[in-house]
Amino acid sequence: MKIKIFRWRAVGPLLVLFVIGCLLWWVFADTILRRESQKVGTQLLGAKVEIQDLHLDLKRGDVTIRGLTIASPHEAFKNLLQADELVADIDMIPLTEKKLVVDRIVAKGLRFGTPRTTDGRVAAKSGDGIAGRVLAETREWASQFQIPVLQLATGKINIDSLDPRRLSTIPAAAALSAQADSSRRAWQAAYDSLRLGPTLDSASAALERLRHARATDLAALNDGRQAINRLKRARDRVTALDRSVKSGITQLQTGLAGLDSTRRRDYAFARSLLKLPSLDAPEIGAALFAPGAIKPFERALYCAQLARRYMPPGLLPRATTGPSRVRRAGEDVRFPKERALPAFLLRSAELSFLLHPTSDQPQQYAGRLTGLTSEPALYGRPTTFRASGPQLAAGALLDHVRGIPVDTGGATVGGITLPAFQVPGVPLRLDPGAATTQLGLTLNGDTIHALFAIRSTHARWMRDSGFANSTIGDLIWQAVSGISNLDVEARLSGALHHPDLAVRSNLDQAVASRLRAVLGEQVAAAEKQMRDRVDALINDKVGPVRAHVNEVQTQGQAQIAQQRARLDDLQKQLEQRLP
Amino acid sequence: MFALIKLIQSLFGALHSEGTPGQLAAGIVLGSFLGLTPLFNLHNIFIFAALVLLNVSFAGGMLGWVLFVPIGFLLDPLFDWIGHHLLLAESLRDFWTSLYNTPIVPLTNFNNTVVLGSFVFALLLAVPLFFVLRWAVARYRMTVGERVRQSKFYRAVTASKVYNVYKMFRP
Repeated sequence: MKIKIFRWRAVGPLLVLFVIGCLLWWVFADTILRRESQKVGTQLLGAKVEIQDLHLDLKRGDVTIRGLTIASPHEAFKNLLQADELVADIDMIPLTEKKLVVDRIVAKGLRFGTPRTTDGRVAAKSGDGIAGRVLAETREWASQFQIPVLQLATGKINIDSLDPRRLSTIPAAAALSAQADSSRRAWQAAYDSLRLGPTLDSASAALERLRHARATDLAALNDGRQAINRLKRARDRVTALDRSVKSGITQLQTGLAGLDSTRRRDYAFARSLLKLPSLDAPEIGAALFAPGAIKPFERALYCAQLARRYMPPGLLPRATTGPSRVRRAGEDVRFPKERALPAFLLRSAELSFLLHPTSDQPQQYAGRLTGLTSEPALYGRPTTFRASGPQLAAGALLDHVRGIPVDTGGATVGGITLPAFQVPGVPLRLDPGAATTQLGLTLNGDTIHALFAIRSTHARWMRDSGFANSTIGDLIWQAVSGISNLDVEARLSGALHHPDLAVRSNLDQAVASRLRAVLGEQVAAAEKQMRDRVDALINDKVGPVRAHVNEVQTQGQAQIAQQRARLDDLQKQLEQRLP
Repeated sequence: MFALIKLIQSLFGALHSEGTPGQLAAGIVLGSFLGLTPLFNLHNIFIFAALVLLNVSFAGGMLGWVLFVPIGFLLDPLFDWIGHHLLLAESLRDFWTSLYNTPIVPLTNFNNTVVLGSFVFALLLAVPLFFVLRWAVARYRMTVGERVRQSKFYRAVTASKVYNVYKMFRP
């Protein structure tokens, strides 16, 4: 029996199914695209992307998005941006290669930092995907900065915790005492080995014989000369011993001097146990403003690192997290090819946006973004962004064309009313008022240089409720309450994994001077008290050791001097008797 | 429960259909592609079209799909591993690069590790699965098939079609 391979009668139902599929696509394409765009956008940015309406016009190759909201990946109830309308002119042919090439986007009514009612963070909560990993990395990076905390909340100076066992001078003194004993024993042994007694006795006998001998008694004369020679040799041995003793004494004196430097280290150690306020101006600036300055750096770095992950240099295959679905997402691997189109390319975007959207007279600005692409090496030019206006100048350049990516960005915004914030460590709030804010970042390979500055002429200081209990807070209040100019500058430089942070402000000197004036005497008294306590613990041990060392030195030197004098005296008498 | 009855129904329906063991096995093999690989992908449109257009058991295809969906979920980590190794193999890079930059082909999502891994797995499984199933169906029909057809259980399962009708028309 011949079996037919094809079931021709199924062609009709299949075509009907195909037509139904096309109809469903036609009806639901906008909804599907809107949902997919929201899903992909959320996955890419690590924050909720919401679109009110999306319309795809296949004939004209246009996509119109209305009511776009992108939540902030960092702040729970804040949007990164909102846009009233985006019209994208899409190149349709690359879509057959699953490549999205947007020739031009016109974005109208952009607004930044608007409030939202729900928490829009995704990566911060789940930690999934590239955005989640980058966010975790930048958070860890930001946590490395050891910001000195002003331990001035009570102004209390406390030295109760000094443990004598942790002082270095006492064991050092014991060691020196043992060294002195050892030296004394060694010197005595060396002295005994000189055997000076027989030499001195024979010399005395020879001298006695010479006194009673005639001038022609050759035997007596020879005895005298031999005795002189023996005395000279004995003297040489005494001289050698003297050198050894002197060297030992030098070591003991060095040990004594070492005790002084050990004592200074103990003073420093004991001082470190005190809760003394820092009176160093740069440290105060870092303590007051570094926590606030690190956040902008962290956010700028998050953007730069995200750009590096999504826009890597080179043409090697690269894997990214696959689409979320019921089945395992897996990884999507892209295979860029020379002289081919990148998977994503936005040739040009024209942006118009509002600053101060809630004020009576919102200011309108314009910007332009070019060359945003997933494969910069294929596009061959860096991504650029610039925006300008009466109180705004912003620009960015992401150059991932070559092997080492270079990202540069900066913005200066004037007239921005910054929110009041709590000054860390002291019960004070600072309201910078309308300030000029500057942020700049250069990331060249793994080297970072960044600047964040706030300048205001209308800064206001406010006392917190806990103010009444804080002496130091009161001091700082006296120092800063009259200062309405605020000039804070934070700089970051060095290797990306461990850069140096420097923060300075015009308040540093004012606060430091005030603290120094008021607390200086208290600090000096506390330090003296601390030194006295260390001395009391050390002197009982060090004093006897010092005396013991001196005694050993004196004894050793005296013994040598005495023997040398006897040898010299006998030699002199013998030489006088000889012709 | 309803899904289980449907599964048993389709199993017996396929086993006792008029199709040859080869047609039934081919249907199940095509269905296994639908079950093993992530469903919403371009290649599955072609698999479905083949299931409809080729003279294979459609019921077998549906049975294969239902049977292999849980296996697909279970083996996803293996598919991911296979796909990862294939896509990042140095020797295949030029091949994938050329496919990736060819129109239409990227729409199959072949560059996804799970899609490629599961498809390759299903492809490798297809031939042995076909022969094993063809032999098993023929053996079943020769040995216990007729006895099953006469059994109360079979009649009860077949009778549950009444329940299907009820499901179709219930408010």
